[in-house]
Amino acid sequence: MKANYLAGVDTATLLDPKSNAWNQPKAETFKLMGTPLGMQPTELIRSSWAKKKIGQVESIKVQAAHNGETIAFRIEWATKAPSMTNGDNSIFPDGAAVALPADARAPVITMGAQGMPINAWYWRANDGGHGRQLSAEGIGTSETLDMEFVKTNGVYENGHWSVVIARALKIESKKPVAQLEVGQDAKFGVAIWDGKNQERGGIKAFTGGAWLDLSLEAGK
Amino acid sequence: MSKRQLAMAMDLNKCIGCQTCTIACKTLWTRDEGMDYMWWNSVNTQPGLGTPRNWENMGGGFKDGVAQAGQLPTKADFGEAWQYNHEEVFYGGKGQNVHLQIQGETPNWGPNWDEDQGGGTYPNSYFFYLPRICNHCTNPACVAACPRKAIEKREEDGIVLINEDRCRGYRFCMEACPYKKIYFNHSKGVSQKCIFCYPRIEQGVANACARQCPGRVRFVGYRDDENGPIYKLVEKWKVAVPLHPEYGTDPNVFYVPPTGPLRFDENGNLDPTSPRIPEDYIRHLFGQPGIEALAIMLEEREKVRKGGKSEVLDILIAYKWSEMFGGFDRDPATIEWDNNGPINKA
Repeated sequence: MKANYLAGVDTATLLDPKSNAWNQPKAETFKLMGTPLGMQPTELIRSSWAKKKIGQVESIKVQAAHNGETIAFRIEWATKAPSMTNGDNSIFPDGAAVALPADARAPVITMGAQGMPINAWYWRANDGGHGRQLSAEGIGTSETLDMEFVKTNGVYENGHWSVVIARALKIESKKPVAQLEVGQDAKFGVAIWDGKNQERGGIKAFTGGAWLDLSLEAGK
Repeated sequence: MSKRQLAMAMDLNKCIGCQTCTIACKTLWTRDEGMDYMWWNSVNTQPGLGTPRNWENMGGGFKDGVAQAGQLPTKADFGEAWQYNHEEVFYGGKGQNVHLQIQGETPNWGPNWDEDQGGGTYPNSYFFYLPRICNHCTNPACVAACPRKAIEKREEDGIVLINEDRCRGYRFCMEACPYKKIYFNHSKGVSQKCIFCYPRIEQGVANACARQCPGRVRFVGYRDDENGPIYKLVEKWKVAVPLHPEYGTDPNVFYVPPTGPLRFDENGNLDPTSPRIPEDYIRHLFGQPGIEALAIMLEEREKVRKGGKSEVLDILIAYKWSEMFGGFDRDPATIEWDNNGPINKA
């Protein structure tokens, strides 16, 4: 899909999922699948989820845009029962994440592999817009890199979450992060957690085992 | 399995349910934000539903070697931290016209909510107190459950710790722990639990719950220290046994089961032929080893009654508090500190 170049649109505007700026980028619908049971990292999780549906959210609409400095993904999905908190301990906040390869060889299905990290930008419904940047080199290995670079904003309205996850195209970091270039192609994937279904960690819906294509529109 | 294992043994015959241990723990470790409903140490009247409510039926532990996901105990199951009108009572200028009252909804559960119930029927009603902390299990279900390897069992002493930098608050550990001694901190978004006072232990000071126990209920030490109290109570005399061994986690907190008072027969006479606390209940909590431990206790008591000496009863009487802690008897006042921590280490 294409990340439109929205010249002159500031990051704050991109972060507003209701902004008119989002009228322009074309939305693409992606079917999601639950993460495979066999790939859950502990036996407890594999046995306790064997008879439960992993991945309640079945499809999402994704838009992408950049302003030459920052790239933003706007992800929208339907849910009748949004989860904003950890409730009484027994539910989890809804979440969304965009994954990008931090190494060209990194597989998305296993969240990277040793020596082939992926980079994930993460939103949780209860995080107050403090996005989280992670890297992972395989299932169960994700590490928080910082809470600084990724900006998020989620709005729930009319039975839909609209979530924007944004980060500077390039950041100064020695850690394994994705560095994006205007006018070039990139890869990405998306994961969604349905908190009322107790989805957290590796229990989530995702865009599948293949990276999705992203082309960052060059400046006009 | 760790190289060594620290453990605690608690003599239920001596626990008076005063909750000094609970408050010692609370004031030391769980006063920060998000911890108000946490009681890493809890003491419950038995028989009872316990804390969290009905925890014995919430599942978890191991079955056929596989860690099981039980129920996630809710904040209400643990008992919400009630707020009181302290401000109004103490500083409201109302003198004796107001008294302390819980603010908000009337609670219907809390820690040791069923304190005054117990079991049995008059005149053979019975109760005893059961203090509980994290069991720092040899085979911890929480460690097996965590997908992030955020829980560590320390090699040097077997203390089980949650690494809050790795924890993301997924609570698989809470599902897995069959003793339901893990809490979720809603402010920090991480799970938290008893740390066996490891910063004290590292300085040679026994756990706060043990050191402050007015009843001298709690013994501390390494399991393999043959001169320490744990080895003697657990291995040598076999009077201290783990709670619910069938959960499969191999706990490192041990209990001397309560013998209870004598039973009355139908004529109101003391009947020593059967215990007032039903064997089935002891077996429910501690399995057959609990029954065997009681038999040893009764035998040793009989020995002393006849004028003999009993090593195990002398240990349990705890004539000297310093002998209860397997060498972890340093006076905390002797520790000197600078900004980086203790400078004269144990």
